[in-house]
Amino acid sequence: MIQIDHVTFSYGEETEHTGGVRDIELQIKRGEFAVLCGESGCGKTTITRLINGLIPHYYEGKMSGGVWVNGAEVSKQPLYDTAKIVGSVFQNPRSQFFNVDTTSEITFGCENLGQPAETIRARLERTVRDFRLEKLMDRNIFHLSGGEKQKVACAGVSIMEPEVLVLDEPSSNLDAASISDLRKTLAFWKGQGKTIVVSEHRLYYLRGLADRFIYMKGGKITREYTSEEFKGLSEQARTEMGLRTFALEQLQPPQTPQCTGTELELKQFRFAYPHGSAILHIQDCTIPAGRIVGIIGNNGAGKSTFSRCFCGLEKQCGEVIWNGKRYRPKDRLNTCYMVMQEVNHQLFTETVLDEVLISMEEPDTKQAEEILSRLDLLPFRDRHPMSLSSGQKQRVAIASAIASKRSILFFDEPTSGLDYRHMKEVAAVLRQLSTEGVTVYVITHDLELLLDCCTDIIHFAQGNIAGQYPMDAGGLSRVCAYFMGSGA
Amino acid sequence: MSSASYPTVTASKKSIQLDPRTKLLLLLTITTLMFSTSNEGIMNLIKPLLSLVPFILILSERRFQTAAKYLILYAACFALERVALIWASGLFSFVLLAVTSIMTRFAPGIMMGAYLIASTSVSEFIGAMERMHLTEKIVIPLSVIFRFFPTVSEEYQAIRDAMKMRGIRFGGKNPFLMVEYRLVPLIVSVVKIGDELSAAALTRGLGAPGRRTNLCRIGFHVQDLMAALFCVACFALFLLRPQIAFWGGVRG
Repeated sequence: MIQIDHVTFSYGEETEHTGGVRDIELQIKRGEFAVLCGESGCGKTTITRLINGLIPHYYEGKMSGGVWVNGAEVSKQPLYDTAKIVGSVFQNPRSQFFNVDTTSEITFGCENLGQPAETIRARLERTVRDFRLEKLMDRNIFHLSGGEKQKVACAGVSIMEPEVLVLDEPSSNLDAASISDLRKTLAFWKGQGKTIVVSEHRLYYLRGLADRFIYMKGGKITREYTSEEFKGLSEQARTEMGLRTFALEQLQPPQTPQCTGTELELKQFRFAYPHGSAILHIQDCTIPAGRIVGIIGNNGAGKSTFSRCFCGLEKQCGEVIWNGKRYRPKDRLNTCYMVMQEVNHQLFTETVLDEVLISMEEPDTKQAEEILSRLDLLPFRDRHPMSLSSGQKQRVAIASAIASKRSILFFDEPTSGLDYRHMKEVAAVLRQLSTEGVTVYVITHDLELLLDCCTDIIHFAQGNIAGQYPMDAGGLSRVCAYFMGSGA
Repeated sequence: MSSASYPTVTASKKSIQLDPRTKLLLLLTITTLMFSTSNEGIMNLIKPLLSLVPFILILSERRFQTAAKYLILYAACFALERVALIWASGLFSFVLLAVTSIMTRFAPGIMMGAYLIASTSVSEFIGAMERMHLTEKIVIPLSVIFRFFPTVSEEYQAIRDAMKMRGIRFGGKNPFLMVEYRLVPLIVSVVKIGDELSAAALTRGLGAPGRRTNLCRIGFHVQDLMAALFCVACFALFLLRPQIAFWGGVRG
C-alpha cells in the first residue's frame, strides 16, 4: 500500500539534525496499523509528510528516492490527487480547520474535490452517525474544546473515504477523555480496513490497535517491532530508547519521599464568564502548598479557570490565605506566575537574556546569566527567543518565571507533545524549583509527569474540587483509575 | 474585539437571511454614501436610515447588547454633531465636531462589515463569489479573512494575559516597546497558524482543478430584493438631491 524507497530528505535552511531523514526504506501493507515512534526530531513527522505529499510539495528541501501510495507516486503527483487516497490529521487542533462552522468544515474536502452535492449530503449524514457528531453540528469551531476540534478534524478526513490515514501526534493537545475518543476513531478506521500510520509520543492508547512499531533515531529507522515484541520490552529498554510508557498500569509509584509542606486556604472561588460557559464553584477549603501539586481533570472541569482566577487574571474571583496573609486577586498577580501551554504567547523581547532581565525588579545581568546557566540556556543568551526549539522556549519562559521571584508558579500542560527525555527534563526543573521553596501547581494530562514529580493531586470535576490526596500508593491507584476510566 | 462577537455562524431561522451578495451591496452603499456626502437636505434623512440597517440586521441575529450599544453610540454622536454645528465656535466645538463626524461616518460601515463577517459562513461566501464569476485565486485568500479575525482575537487575548502576568514590571516604560511586545508574538503565532492551516487545507484537496461543489443554498429572495431596492433608492436620492433641493425651494 505504502512504499518508501530509499528516501533521503533534508529541510531547506536548517541543519541536518532537525527532523530530516536518511535512506528510509519502508513498506506498509494494506490494512496495516503502523506507529512511528522515537525522540523529538528523529524524523517521524517527516515520514508522515512524505506519505501525504506535503513533502516535497509544501515543505521544501532536498529529496531523493520515491514514495508510492496505492501505486501512485505521491512525490510526483499534485497534492489534490493524493488527497483522494491519503487523509491527514495533525497535531494542533487549532490550526487545521479552514472554515468557521463545523458542518462546512466536515464537508470541505469533498467540496474541494467537486463531488456531487447529493453524494456529499449522504456521506455527511453517515459520518455524523459514525462519529456521533449530532451535538457538534452547525457550531462555531472557535467555541469547541481541543478534543471536539480534533474529532471534527477526524470526521472531515473520514468523509473523504481515503484508503490511507496519516496522523501526526494527534493526541498531543488532548485530555484523557478525548484520547479515549481518538482511540475509538482509530478503532473504527481499523475496522473499516484502512491503512493507518500514526506518529506519536504517547503510546499507551495505541495498545491493542497497532500491529507494528517503527522506531526511529537520528533520521533513520533503527528497529521495527511487532506489537508482541513491543509489549515485551523491559521498562529499562523503553526508557533508554526515550519512549513513553506503553502500559499505564505498569507504572511504578513515585520513589520521592513524601514531603510535607504548608497549606493555603481558598475562599470564595466562584466564577462564571459573562456568557455562562465555564463555571467555577469551589467550596472554601485548604489545598497543599510548598510542594509540587498536580491538577488533573477533564477539559471543561474548571482547571484553567481555576488557574486564571488563582493567578489573578480574573479580577473578581476569590481570596487566598497563606501564611496568615490575605491575597486578593491583584496581590496574586504579583505573587503568582503562569507558564502557559502556548509559549509563543509569552516571549516578547529580542534576546533570551533580555527576556529574563525584563522580569526582574532590578535588572541584574549577572543573576540573569546564573538563572540561564541553571536551565542550560547560557549558550543561547543572545539568540532571538522565537528562533529556539519549543522545549528551549519553554525553558526561557521558566527562566523568566524564576527571575520574577514569584513564590507560586503555575504550569499549564508543560509536557504536551514532549518525548520521554524532555518530559524528564521538565520534571527535573519542577523538582528543583520545589527544593528552592517555590510552590508549583501543574495542570497536566501526563500521567508519567505526575508520577515523576508531583507530591499531591487535586482532581477537578464540574467546576469543583472533586478530590485531593497525596501521591502515595493509594493516590496512585486513584489517579490511574481516573486515567484508565476515561483513558484506554 | 471579544470572542463573544462571533456567535454561532448559522443563525437561528428567525433572523433575516440575506444573500452574501446583498450584504456586500448594503456594505458598499453604506460606506459610499456615508463618506461622500455632507449633511444637507435629503441626506439628513438618508444617513440615519442607512445607519439603521446594521442595527436592524444585528437585532435580527438576537445580539441585543451589541445592537443597543451601537444605536446609543450612533445616536449620541449624531446629536452631538448637530449641537457642535450650531455652536460652531471655539476649539472644543471643533474637536467635538471632528470626533462625532468621524464616528457617524465610520461606525455604520464598520458594524455592517462586522455583521457581514459574523453572519456569513466561509462556504456561503465562497459560493457567492463564485456566482459572481470571480476566480478562485482571489476568492480563497479573501475567504481566509473570516477565519483570520477570530484567530487574531484569540491570540491577542492570550498575549494580553501573558503580558498582564509579567507586564507589571515593564508598565509605562516605553509605549513603542509595549506595542512591539504585543505585535511580535502575535505575528509569530498568526504566521505559524497560517502555515499549518495551509498545509492542512492542501491535504484536503484545496486547489483541485474543476468546479468546487458548494452545499450552501444561497440565492436571492424577497428580502434581498427589498434590500437592493432600498440601496437603489438611496443612491437615486443622493444623485437627484440638487433637483430635490430645487423643488423644495420652489414650493417653499
